[in-house]
Amino acid sequence: MITLESVSKFIISDFHIHIPQGECVGLIGVSGAGKTTLLKLMSGLLAPKHGYIRTIGRNPVREKGTYGRDMGIFLTGKSNLENQDTAREALEMLCHVYRIPKEEFHRSYEALSERFAFREYEEKRIKDLSLGQRMRVELAAVLMLKPKLLLLDEPDIGLDENGKAAFWKILEEERRKGMTIVVSSHNPVEISRHCSRIALIDEGKLLFYGTEKRLRSKYASMDIMQLKLDGKIPDLEDLPLKKYEAEQDMLRLFYDANLVSAAEIIGLILKQTQVKEIQVIKPNLTDMIMQLKGVKEDELNRGK
Amino acid sequence: MRLAPYIAYLKKSFLRKSAYRFDHLMSILSTCLRIFIFWEIYRTLYGTRQEVDGITMAMVTTNFILSMGLDVVFGMDDNFIPGKIHDGSIATELLRPMSIKGRMIAENMGSSVFKLIFHFIPALLIAQIMIGILPPASPMMFMCFLISALLGYGVMWSISFALQMLSFWVITTWSITTLKNVVINIFSGTMLPLWFMPEWMDRILRFLPFSSIYFTPVQIYLGQLSGAEILEKCCIQIIWILIIYCVGDILWKCGQRKLVVQGG
Repeated sequence: MITLESVSKFIISDFHIHIPQGECVGLIGVSGAGKTTLLKLMSGLLAPKHGYIRTIGRNPVREKGTYGRDMGIFLTGKSNLENQDTAREALEMLCHVYRIPKEEFHRSYEALSERFAFREYEEKRIKDLSLGQRMRVELAAVLMLKPKLLLLDEPDIGLDENGKAAFWKILEEERRKGMTIVVSSHNPVEISRHCSRIALIDEGKLLFYGTEKRLRSKYASMDIMQLKLDGKIPDLEDLPLKKYEAEQDMLRLFYDANLVSAAEIIGLILKQTQVKEIQVIKPNLTDMIMQLKGVKEDELNRGK
Repeated sequence: MRLAPYIAYLKKSFLRKSAYRFDHLMSILSTCLRIFIFWEIYRTLYGTRQEVDGITMAMVTTNFILSMGLDVVFGMDDNFIPGKIHDGSIATELLRPMSIKGRMIAENMGSSVFKLIFHFIPALLIAQIMIGILPPASPMMFMCFLISALLGYGVMWSISFALQMLSFWVITTWSITTLKNVVINIFSGTMLPLWFMPEWMDRILRFLPFSSIYFTPVQIYLGQLSGAEILEKCCIQIIWILIIYCVGDILWKCGQRKLVVQGG
């Protein structure tokens, strides 16, 4: 559906990615990592300085405006709605622009206004809506197109829990029906829960691209074991630990779960000392990303 | 190209205009006031004379009433593209399966049709009752006047279009559009009919598009031009539309290139 080959633009440099049809790809990265630039490159809003881009088999810059209903896009700060219109009028206008048949519009409008619960304020003007209310209408506007490809830039900003739940549920349903989705966010936990693939971006580079499971098994095998000791600090020289921290009776061990199991460690410790408490911590996605950045930087430094 | 989305925008812009009733009443009042002020000025200038340089008071009155009326109808939204560039919506707007230029024409026409029916005609009626204007030279001339006025609208639209494109490079176009309005006011013959321009000025204006906007239609209305002259003047109008539109279009293409290279 989307192919980028050695694409460079602004912070993005020598970027490769292929997004097959029917995937929901979550772009994760800190502010300024290049998420929005990527979405703009994919949609043809920006021309790459170098490299090759194909979106739905076409050059998106040259064939801008020919995608019609095939591509739906929402970028933060670039509204698809007009401030003076009411929610209903704004969506009706888009229905004219994208030539959506009347009956189809009514059907999707009913469904979307129901699910995003904006029926009660559909007669208010867009400019009078709160951020969250407005986002619901914005999302309904792109989803109404039923595009083959949906590009969303931080669509969860301002949405409350109900709104988020409705949004991710609809995305999931549409993906099952074959929609390809690229969505960026600051919130890695949310993304990892709902996207079929994760693309981790840092300073314009693709650090990782694949499923959450692979990310966990490949990079996040560093577990943390926290022990409260009742006795001397054990000698753990023989274990392949990443590092350990001792603080009074607390001992914190960092280890790679692929190399050594928790049982082995506990076995060795119990031979030498008494333990009051044991806690094993699996890192969350945010920690993992920080860790991954470190690993990649090490690799790069070693390369030099 | 299907017309439905453009017609929807035309309709919307028409309806949006009709939403502000008080503003609308005030603008009719302001047009009438401007007409009366000009009428008073010219009445004083003419004094007891019947005509100046072969131009009667009635012709002058007809000129400024018609051109001020057309000025109202020809009013363009000069902030259409600059506004979209400013808030960044131009980018996503370009992804839509419809031409922005087409939409701009549609929205301008929507408000123009509204102003023609609910502003130009009432103001004209008031002026006719209070001051009185000359009737068209003949029904034939009136038809030609309508065609020429439509072409004048085209000239006005392309000037606005070309100037709006500058907003890709400058931050505010407010000063440019204000300057445009002043220049058009003076050189199109609204305030001072072009009959009274000194000869050297007349020679310069012949090479500028401004007389094509209001003055040509008014001259046709008054029956001052022969058949061949009408044809010639209308051709000049068409040529101006093409020239200015092409310049605007080149700027438009450059602007879009700038947008995809530098981002917007």
